[in-house]
Amino acid sequence: MARARERAVGLALLLPGLFFSSVFGSFMAYAGVRGAEAHDPELVLPLLSLIATGVGISWMLSPLVAGVSLSESHDVSRLLHFPLPLLTLVAASLVGNLLQPVVLAALPVLASLSLALSRSPSALPFALAGSLLSLLFLLAAAQVSGLVLHGLSRRRRFQDLAVFLVIGLGFLMSMAPIVLFSGGARFLGRAVRVLVAGDLVALSPFAWGLRAAVHAGRGEALAFVGWAAAQAAAIVAAAAISAVLIERIYRGELDLGGRGQEEGARAVMVLPGRIGALLEKDLRVAWRDPATKATLFLSCATPLFWLFVFTRTSGGLSPVGLLMLSMLVGASAFGNAFGLEGRGIALLFGFPVERWRVLVAKNLSGFALRLPGLATLLVMGSLLAPPALLPAAATGALCTFLVAAGSDNYASILFPMVAARPGHNPYGGSAAGSRGLGAAALGALFFMATLIVAAPFVFLAWVPMWLERPLLWILSLPLALAGAGAVYAMLVAGAARVLERREPDLLQRVLGEA
Amino acid sequence: MDHVSFRVARGRFFGFLGPNGAGKSTTIKMLTGLLRPTEGEAVIEGHPLEKELLAVKRVIGMLPEDLPLYERLTGEEYLHFAGRMYGLSREETRKRTDELLAFLSLEEERGKLIVDYSQGMRKKTALAAALIHSPRVLFLDEPLNGIDPISGRVVTDLLRRLAQKGVTMFFTSHVLDVAERLCDEVAIIDRGRLVAQGTLEQIRAQREVGQDATLEDVFLKLVAADVRREDLSWIG
Repeated sequence: MARARERAVGLALLLPGLFFSSVFGSFMAYAGVRGAEAHDPELVLPLLSLIATGVGISWMLSPLVAGVSLSESHDVSRLLHFPLPLLTLVAASLVGNLLQPVVLAALPVLASLSLALSRSPSALPFALAGSLLSLLFLLAAAQVSGLVLHGLSRRRRFQDLAVFLVIGLGFLMSMAPIVLFSGGARFLGRAVRVLVAGDLVALSPFAWGLRAAVHAGRGEALAFVGWAAAQAAAIVAAAAISAVLIERIYRGELDLGGRGQEEGARAVMVLPGRIGALLEKDLRVAWRDPATKATLFLSCATPLFWLFVFTRTSGGLSPVGLLMLSMLVGASAFGNAFGLEGRGIALLFGFPVERWRVLVAKNLSGFALRLPGLATLLVMGSLLAPPALLPAAATGALCTFLVAAGSDNYASILFPMVAARPGHNPYGGSAAGSRGLGAAALGALFFMATLIVAAPFVFLAWVPMWLERPLLWILSLPLALAGAGAVYAMLVAGAARVLERREPDLLQRVLGEA
Repeated sequence: MDHVSFRVARGRFFGFLGPNGAGKSTTIKMLTGLLRPTEGEAVIEGHPLEKELLAVKRVIGMLPEDLPLYERLTGEEYLHFAGRMYGLSREETRKRTDELLAFLSLEEERGKLIVDYSQGMRKKTALAAALIHSPRVLFLDEPLNGIDPISGRVVTDLLRRLAQKGVTMFFTSHVLDVAERLCDEVAIIDRGRLVAQGTLEQIRAQREVGQDATLEDVFLKLVAADVRREDLSWIG
């Protein structure tokens, strides 16, 4: 019922967009083909093949890149215990996909394209048939890729790798417009010209139906039959591959199994003491969690990206800019430690460990996970600002981090944002609606408070620079760190008392939502 | 829970039984400090739970039903982590981990991430973690669910031996014949209220059921279960 409602809402939101994109696409297809025919008829075949290949690959990879699948990859393995032939299931899934709104919206575009390609009215049905064959192959290929992803997702290590790569791919794609505007477009244009000139995309099966349509439009019957037959064979082959994949997934042959790379390793907690064990646990878990690992790499990539932007837009970073940047980086200690623990919080609080140790370990792991980003930022700072400022910048960042980590403990205890379990709605629960907005407002409040409390210590670290007496740093930097450390100790002691009082409530809240 | 009160003597194998939703897991969560009761108190091994929570956690071990484990640690790493959290030295933790893994037939899986474990392997890992610090009281919520018969026998034999050595067992199970075999004493709750407590003989006598009545017979009578006996109309 909820799914049907979500579908209905999605469709209602989608329909106007689909309608306009369909009208616009139809116009562009007609005008584009007629324009190309008039300008250089030889260009039509490779250009259309290239576009069909691009659309086909994007369609196939859409679940990976955009997180949204353009056509459905039906989990037909659930139907395998019914007495039905495999190819019937594959065909049913394909027919089901033909009725998808996105596919239906593509039909006017294909009709308009076929009309533009047809030099005589009698050629139109054949051109349309060729175009539809291309669409059918696209759906069959998307079904194969969907089944492959389905099979891989049942193997945990591949799924982890996919999550990691997808986050990286998403980050790179979000950076793509900026890269294109700063010189990347020229390279892309050259690559397209090479592909079109050599008609290298003739090998792409996504294009074969459209090539048949082009030849049909020109009245070249033999070429039409050849390309259409090739496209039909490709569709049958894709359907056969789908059937084999379904059978293998059902038999568990694509399921997880096999020995992992960790197997055989005699792992011992190396770091000393309970805080060390807690810290090491957090680091090991984070390193093996693909989303956390990707975030870790992105924390290095983001400063490098800003370095790229800075070097192309301005000469460098002013001392005040570096000061602000160091404070902002330090203040990013907000970690929502207990909300992210999820159900593991019951284990954590089941151990007889003093609560201040738990808080310190959580803060330390937060710091360790941000260390690569901080280091990259320091390297970036040394390239953009006078290197003499770096000790003060690092101290400023550290002082702000200490205050931020200390205050974050209160937010984690009093307002944990519970992380959704894998496979569950990430936009529900504590991250959604007014609760999510409330938590964001609270986070902003803590952020401002952190900057205000940390300001005197950062000021102390920067005073020698303003007085132009660098030797004073020998005194001011340790003093600033000691002051921030004392504030941190007080904050942790207070938070530990709050945690002891509120531990069962925190557990109920997190376990109730995790 | 509604005014539940009971006492378990040291070294007893105590079965806490009841139908689904009766409050068994809730009681265990309250006794281990994971849930705060609205009123009342609990004392475990002489430590009042509310005031000396950490002292209680040092002497108890817990096997929860829903098995929240750190899935991105290997079984061996998790046991090392648990040992260190209970304050054991690195050497002692390593020694006990090796023994536990061998005892519970987890040696071959020691280097696998817990996320790749079967339900039974998870259960055994959680049980190993509950035992690593030599607890005085063990809270076991459905300990035999999902465990194969061989491991089940190994685990029940171990639990019996632990009880003989003075470890108190607080045990919940849906499998009543296992409870009947293992428990010295049982308490039966229904909809949050304690409806009977004592040895099986005492409960039989209190409730005036025959001496040959099994724990299951007594249980069904006490919780007034309506066991349907008619067949489905199309199966014949």
